[in-house]
Parts: sequence; structure tokens; C-alpha cells
Amino acid sequence: MWYHKPVVNEELLQSLPNLKVVASSGVGIDHLDLKLLSSYGVKVASTPFVVSTDTADLGMALMLASSRRLVEGHQMAVAPDTEYFPADWLGVEVSGATLGIVGMGAIGYKVAERAKAFEMKILYHNRNQRKKEEESAVGAVYCKKIDDLLQQSDFVLLAVNLTPQTRKLIGKRELELMKPTATLINISRGLVVDQDALVEALQNKIIKAAALDVTYPEPLPRDHPLLKLKNVIITPHIGSATKKTRWVMMEEMAESIEAGLAGLPIPREVL
Amino acid sequence: GPDLKVISTLSVGFDHLALDEIKKRGIRVGYTPDVLTDATAELSVALLLSACRRLPEAAEQVKSGGWTTWKPLWMCGYGLSDSTVGIIGLGRIGQAVARRLKPFGVRKFLYTGSGPKPETAAEFGAEFVPLTRLAEESDFVVVTCALTPATHGMCNKDFFGRMKKTSVFVNTSRGAVVNQEDLYDALANGQIAAAGLDVTTPEPLPTDHPLLSLQNCVILPHIGSATYATRSTMAVLAANNLLAGLRGEPMPHELKL
Repeated sequence: MWYHKPVVNEELLQSLPNLKVVASSGVGIDHLDLKLLSSYGVKVASTPFVVSTDTADLGMALMLASSRRLVEGHQMAVAPDTEYFPADWLGVEVSGATLGIVGMGAIGYKVAERAKAFEMKILYHNRNQRKKEEESAVGAVYCKKIDDLLQQSDFVLLAVNLTPQTRKLIGKRELELMKPTATLINISRGLVVDQDALVEALQNKIIKAAALDVTYPEPLPRDHPLLKLKNVIITPHIGSATKKTRWVMMEEMAESIEAGLAGLPIPREVL
Repeated sequence: GPDLKVISTLSVGFDHLALDEIKKRGIRVGYTPDVLTDATAELSVALLLSACRRLPEAAEQVKSGGWTTWKPLWMCGYGLSDSTVGIIGLGRIGQAVARRLKPFGVRKFLYTGSGPKPETAAEFGAEFVPLTRLAEESDFVVVTCALTPATHGMCNKDFFGRMKKTSVFVNTSRGAVVNQEDLYDALANGQIAAAGLDVTTPEPLPTDHPLLSLQNCVILPHIGSATYATRSTMAVLAANNLLAGLRGEPMPHELKL
């Protein structure tokens, strides 16, 4: 299945008595009720690692685009009524700034590797601290309390998976802990953020800007305030959107299904 | 102005200065190298990512309602993983670009210019190649050279014709290094996949210019060094260059004529 459709519920499972394997695209499995599937004897597989690089790249792209005002700049450069480029039209450098990564899994770590080349100071918050060698390879400092990360970061990037524990991880309290000059970047899941609180925080300049590849729902309704805010960039969930990666995902899902149907161990099975 | 003693430019580029005439009149020139390297390199990478991942196009689809249902190959771009990056002009900015691109999984760096720079290139394992080979083998081409008579119009029909159909072209040097008509043709005919330009000829482009109509061309308003921190530093440096020149003292950064 691609992009969490169709919805896998009791009704669907009852109508498919011979279903053996569900292969889901991407690394997120928040849209699947694993207990329910297990109770029907259905095995689940995902495509966890192949998406890491492109998603990390997009996280960097969003951070850079936001800080250097790329979307705005492009609009100005192509606008018919632009007569000259104002000399005082400025952005803020990413190089040398502090990046706080919330969720240092495969994707979060790849973002850290990329950010290091921009001489960024890297803080991270994770369920568990990573090994010393991994930390020093990217110069990342562990923040056991998310508050410490939020208070010190110029950019806060969310790369956690969506679980009951991470739902609305970033709410009014967390946004208020962030610097007023900080930017929130979300490449995880829309529901990790209290979206209404985010709208308010952006409107009241509690934080400076947001760059989101994910929202809730996707797409947002046409009249949603996030679509109107000048300091927000939203992309349509394109984290893994390169032809090469999408092809590999397809191959991996097919491989998992074939193994499942043959009664063999399933590659990338989600347990 | 016959009393002109000093020219202080807020840039590292000096292609806009008639150096022969300036030298003849004994006028001194100050400029701002180094201090703008990081901001410009960062912008080059930002532009490359925006072009290869189709950021402005995708953002527009979100706003315009073009994003209806999701399909696996919709809005797909090109990844940097395992790619070959060709840098035209491995100077300060070119090196800073390569440094930032390295952890994106770039498999190989190529570069071209007036001559090989083995010590500099060693940091990236970069190979010095002729312009033609760089065009043929690169998945991403980044232009960070100075504008000189030798580089004027260098990126032309022949150059784009050699590039891969899946490649992305980024120019943050000077508009005149690129033959814009040839670039337009290459983009419109699918000879290259996408382009990102921070510089054009002229700036801004006239409202009816064909490049402005292309979805796969991201154009920025010459913002390479446009950050609060960098422009402040450049301004202070330019002022100090000017004052030193007027006082007949050594400048912090004088252009040797």
C-alpha cells in the first residue's frame, strides 16, 4: 500500500479472508493497527531504510529554503511587477547556527551528518542516547530534556515516528520554550505537532517560521490558516520523492509480499 | 570624476570594473572576498536542493490546490545519493560548496577551471577534467567561477547538449557565464532536468523572458551573500577599505591591479 491507503480496518480485513501480507511504503507505520492485523494472522512489512537519505535531504532543503527565504525570493524574481532587487532584502545564515534534532533515528542522524558540513552546532533529543562514537562523528550533544534543546536551538527539526508518546509532542508549551527567532521543521508526521497551537505561535510571532513536509490532514483544507501565513513553507509530503527511491520502495514491497506468500521469512517485517 | 582615488565594491566579483582604465588612473580598488564565502556557498546548496527536489513548484501545488490525491511518482525529483557533482571554478566558494555537499552521499566530485589545484581538490577527492567531460558525467553542475573573457558564455548549446537528461544545473556566479537562450532551449526540450539560477542577465529578467515561464527553472534575486550577518560584515569591510584607501594606507582587502 502507498501512502496509508486503503484504510486497514476490521471491515477490510473481514472482506479479505485470504490476506497474508500487507506491504506498506515508507518507514512510518502509524497508520496501521498492528494488533488488529496480527489478530487476523496478517504479516506487515515496510520500507524503512531506503527513504532515509532523500528524507534527510528534504529536511535540509526545507531548513535552507526557510532561512534564506527561497520560495519568497523565487516569487520575487519571476514576478511581473518586480523592477529591481532591493539591496536590503536579507535572510539568515544556516551555517554556524544551532540545530536541534528531535528523534535521532536513521533519518535524524543523516540530517546531523549533513548539518555538520554547514558547521552547525547539533543538539538532539531521543528516547535513548546514541553511542559516543556516533555522537562525536557529527558533534551532536544529547539533551535528555527536550526543553534544553528547544531553548537553545535556532532550528528545531522533528524526525520522530508517530506513536501515542509523540502525538502532540510539540504543543503550546514547547513552542513557547523555543526562541522567537527559531524555525520549526517537520519531516515526521503532522500529528506530532499540535497544529492549532502552531498556527497561533506563528501568528503571534512566538516562533519565527515553520517549514513542513507533513500536516494533518494531507492535504490541508483550502481555507486553513497555515496556507495563508507568509512565514510558512509547506511541501506535499515529498520526503521520499525521487524516482530512484520510489522504484526501490516498490521493489522492496514486492519482495516482501513474495516472501510472505511463499511462507519464507519476510524482509523488513514489522513486528 | 578626475579626483576619484578609491573604488570600494561590496562583492568578491570585479567583472563590473574596467580594470585597465582604473589602473591607468592610479585608482585603488577594495573588495570583499572570504567574508561572503559561507553565505554564498550555503545559498548555492540551498538552490541546488530547491531545484532538484522541486521545492517552489511543490509549495505552489500545496497553495493552489493542485495537490489532490497522492501518487507514488508525483512531484518526484532527483536525489544526491551516489551522484557525481561537477564544480566549475573550485575557488573559495566552490570549495565551500563541495564541503557542504559531501555528506549528501555524493560519490564523485569533478571540477574544471584554468588549471588543476591538487592540494585543494584532495579534500574532496575531486578530479580535474575538461569542461566537456564535466558536462557529460555530472548529475549536478554548480558554477562558482569568476566572470572573465574566458568564462563569458561558457555554458552554451554545446555544454548543455552534453549534459545528462536527468541532470541539474546551478549558477551562482554571474549571469553572463551562461548563454541564456541555450539554457532555455535545453530546459524546454528536456536536455537537462532542471536549473537553479541566482544570477541572470539582466537582473531582474524582463517580464516576458522565456526562462520565467519554465516550471523546472528556479530563479532567485541574486541573494548569494544576502544575510544580515554577512552583509554587515561586507559593509564594514568595504567602509574600511575605502577609508584606508583615502588615507593612503594598506587596505584590509585590496584588489591587486
